[in-house]
Amino acid sequence: MLQRLRESKSAQGTLLALPTTVWLFVLLIIPLFLTLIVSFGRRSPDGNVIYTFTFENYTRLFGYSTNCANGQPSCFDPLYVNILGRSLSLAFNTTVLVISLAYPLAYFIARAHPKQRNMYLFMVLIPLWTNFVIRVYAWMMLLRKEGAINIIIGWIAHFLHIPFTPFEMLYTPGAVLVGMVYEFLPFMILPIYTSLEKIDLSLYEAAADLGANAIKTFLRVTLPLSMPGVVAGTILVFIPVMGTFIVSDILGGRQVILVGNLIQRQFLDARDPTFGSAASLILMVMTLIVTYFYTRKFGFGEEIVVA
Amino acid sequence: MNPFRRSPFVLTAAVLVYIFLYAPIIGLVLYSFNASRANVTFEGFIPKYSDRIVMEGSLVKSSPCGPFHWYCELAKNNDVAEAAGNTLTIAFIATIISTIIGTMAALALQRYNFKMKPFSQLSLYIPIVIPEIVMGIGILTLFSQFFGWVNETFNLVGNARLSLGMATVTASHIAFMVPFVALVVQARLQGFDKSYEEAAMDLGANEWITFRRVTFPIILPGIMSGALLAFTLSLDDFVITFFTNGPGSTTLPIYVYGLLRRIITPQVNALSTVWILVVFVAVLLLQILQNRESKDHS
Amino acid sequence: MNKNKIFKLLALLVIASMVLTACGGGTAATQPAVDGPKVTSTGFECPVPEFPMEVTSKELNIFVWTEYIPTDMQDCFELVYGIKVNRDEYSANEEMYAKLSAGGSSYDLVQPTDYIVSLMIRQNLLQEFDHSKLPAIKNFDPNYMDFAFDPGNKYTIPYQAGTDAIVYNADTVTNVPTSWADLWKPEYAGKMVFLDDSRAVIGLTLLTLGYDVNTKNPAELDEAKAKLAELVPNIKLFDSDSPKTALIAGDVDLGMTWTGEAFLAQNEKPSIQYVYPTEGAIIWQDNWAMPKEAPHADAAYAWLNYTNQGNIFWMMLRDFPFTNPNQAALDFAKTDHKDLYDAYMASPITNTPVEAIKNSHRIDDVGEALPLYDQIWTEVKGGQ
Repeated sequence: MLQRLRESKSAQGTLLALPTTVWLFVLLIIPLFLTLIVSFGRRSPDGNVIYTFTFENYTRLFGYSTNCANGQPSCFDPLYVNILGRSLSLAFNTTVLVISLAYPLAYFIARAHPKQRNMYLFMVLIPLWTNFVIRVYAWMMLLRKEGAINIIIGWIAHFLHIPFTPFEMLYTPGAVLVGMVYEFLPFMILPIYTSLEKIDLSLYEAAADLGANAIKTFLRVTLPLSMPGVVAGTILVFIPVMGTFIVSDILGGRQVILVGNLIQRQFLDARDPTFGSAASLILMVMTLIVTYFYTRKFGFGEEIVVA
Repeated sequence: MNPFRRSPFVLTAAVLVYIFLYAPIIGLVLYSFNASRANVTFEGFIPKYSDRIVMEGSLVKSSPCGPFHWYCELAKNNDVAEAAGNTLTIAFIATIISTIIGTMAALALQRYNFKMKPFSQLSLYIPIVIPEIVMGIGILTLFSQFFGWVNETFNLVGNARLSLGMATVTASHIAFMVPFVALVVQARLQGFDKSYEEAAMDLGANEWITFRRVTFPIILPGIMSGALLAFTLSLDDFVITFFTNGPGSTTLPIYVYGLLRRIITPQVNALSTVWILVVFVAVLLLQILQNRESKDHS
Repeated sequence: MNKNKIFKLLALLVIASMVLTACGGGTAATQPAVDGPKVTSTGFECPVPEFPMEVTSKELNIFVWTEYIPTDMQDCFELVYGIKVNRDEYSANEEMYAKLSAGGSSYDLVQPTDYIVSLMIRQNLLQEFDHSKLPAIKNFDPNYMDFAFDPGNKYTIPYQAGTDAIVYNADTVTNVPTSWADLWKPEYAGKMVFLDDSRAVIGLTLLTLGYDVNTKNPAELDEAKAKLAELVPNIKLFDSDSPKTALIAGDVDLGMTWTGEAFLAQNEKPSIQYVYPTEGAIIWQDNWAMPKEAPHADAAYAWLNYTNQGNIFWMMLRDFPFTNPNQAALDFAKTDHKDLYDAYMASPITNTPVEAIKNSHRIDDVGEALPLYDQIWTEVKGGQ
């Protein structure tokens, strides 16, 4: 048998890929399948699942409501659609902001002296190695009314003799955005850096020889070649933002409800696993759709290696 | 154009972003010396050393450890030690396993054709696009149903019962770490020049020796980065661990989250500072090693 | 090879940190059993068990609220009985319920709040207590026993009780609120903190309309939704974890919170006051319960009997300011820790006045109406 193994390439391939595939099948595919089944079920009075086949949860998610104001049999309730929309726009805004902050820094590191690059990279990674929740909590201390930022601005205002009332920054949607940007910034810096670093330096010489100035070089050479990094980074940022609930919980004063919060509530407080499963799957599908169109336009960026 | 010349715009932007990245960290470290137990505003450093802890309301007036009072409290905290131990154990074991099977899968996907291939490739992408909470809840349901069935069928009682704990958390971590390892190694393999391998084979080496002496050393940096990424992901994971842990398997993120939700004392800040220091020292050592290695080679 | 060196160093670092943390975890409760009084790491001398029990289990798994068990209490139990206590924590009943109902957990004791007990009993998650193994049950004040959510205390025994009521900062609030309805006043806009608890907040809205906190009537709930929608824009933040923080920091001036938080906030800032609204506060009670497949039931009974001794349970007065249902503990504190006892009895926060108790309302499970409550909650919060 060992002989046959040696000869058949396909058997070797299967054997190598087998542990991973089995692991993922059991711990991922099957749970997803279970979620799918549950999403077509109905909630029992105590919050358990009645296994049946109904589209109730999905229609409810997209606005079909029988509890209408003027006694109509059915109407459109945009509650959940709004939540989906809000999450999409937050994810979009976060991604745009993250790209605009990450790109200059990645550029800086890529153009730094080779011996120093690793140090700069690790300086980016170190905040990542504190704890996710602690980082969010740290922003609370900065943003609150008697927090560090207000104190510092207060000193400056006092110094300049300008009257100053502390800014209400915490527990606003703005705080959630700041928190999200902060959490996911390193995930964009690394891929962009990697793709920038790979750019062949001789291209710059060629561009200079052809008479291009700095801006033209950037737009025609650097930017297009760094796109795989931007794409990879976007995927690493956009998807988690869609599903996060901790940041909006802690920094938004539990008033900013995103899809992640909605799903978490369904499984815990509302005890409605059928609705929660439907929302989870819709979230996944939405993320997949956006990712698909994005990568179709810009390529997949899988040639990006982190570090 | 000198590619090493940095425009002032890029330089300023870079500095500002670094400040943005580190502002909360600095705040965290500073507040770990906060005299106020309630840790809402900064009430100054703890000035005096004394035999016992003297408190006035929620202000610590003096303590045997002086300004490092909260660090001493941290050292006495057994729960933190246990949680830290669990976190590291899980991360370590999960990283080893996921690196091994992830590298194997990457090799398979990159170099072989076999029937299962599209399915394997697809299943590797799923954990990346799936929100963690969906994965966590799905895995919890799976484990619960399975354990319930096994416990009933085999009439297990007491400590023999299957239940959530370190093993389930580790298994779940591996599930979401493997794709990252596989993708990173796969990317590294893509740029791989096969002529090295062919040369080795021409010289008479069989496949195993070729792999060990030629292929493996070349893809090792990719494997190491994948492993490092996986290790980081496991250390920081909250959502999936939250749904799959059990008695005695609390990890640091879970512990911290629970603590933050009830009483926010500067002890949490002390914990974060220590954590950052440990990481910093580890990274510094790695840097020194790498520099020494490149000196050896040149 | 130098790559191997890196490998080895990494491995060494990881192992080193594991060893260090293992060393760190070796203090306190693992002192060898010697004759003479057991003393915890804080110097507290552990009393002997009043109702000693035969225990063969070596471990006890408890699933409890975060920061709700005094360290000395746990350490003493471990020292006296030689049993290792594994403590997992949760910060919401729903988390505990989700874990337990999913199955696969192996906890011996949990701490459900009243409203979720009836649901857990219905779902067959709890086992009945054998009262013959619970001699300590006589230590409890009968006023805290035999409630509708668990008649005869078949499944639960009390732990701590308390209320949800109005809290305000006397320094910054001139027009003091006296009823839930007062909180709707426009002058309080943007200055309030509320619990992130859909049942409590919708409940108090129902009270202002004169309805029952546990109503299942959709028409009444609709009215409550409309009324609540007026209030939510005035609320600065929802916080069920540490609402006292916002009060102390001055981010908010008033709102609703629970006993423990109000007491601690008052300690920090004496101007913070707690007032029981005229419509009636919300009253609650946390309890001990035993899950159905508890692997170490004998250890659980030993724990319950030991920790509910008067000379142990008094610690709650010292560490966690809630209403204490354990009469034996109060009696012990009266003689041995008079200052604590006096502070406890003097404060209307911990020692709820009788009229306030009579006037209060207890949240109970609403079964199939729960999604209605959640829909309201999502709508009023999400409509920003």
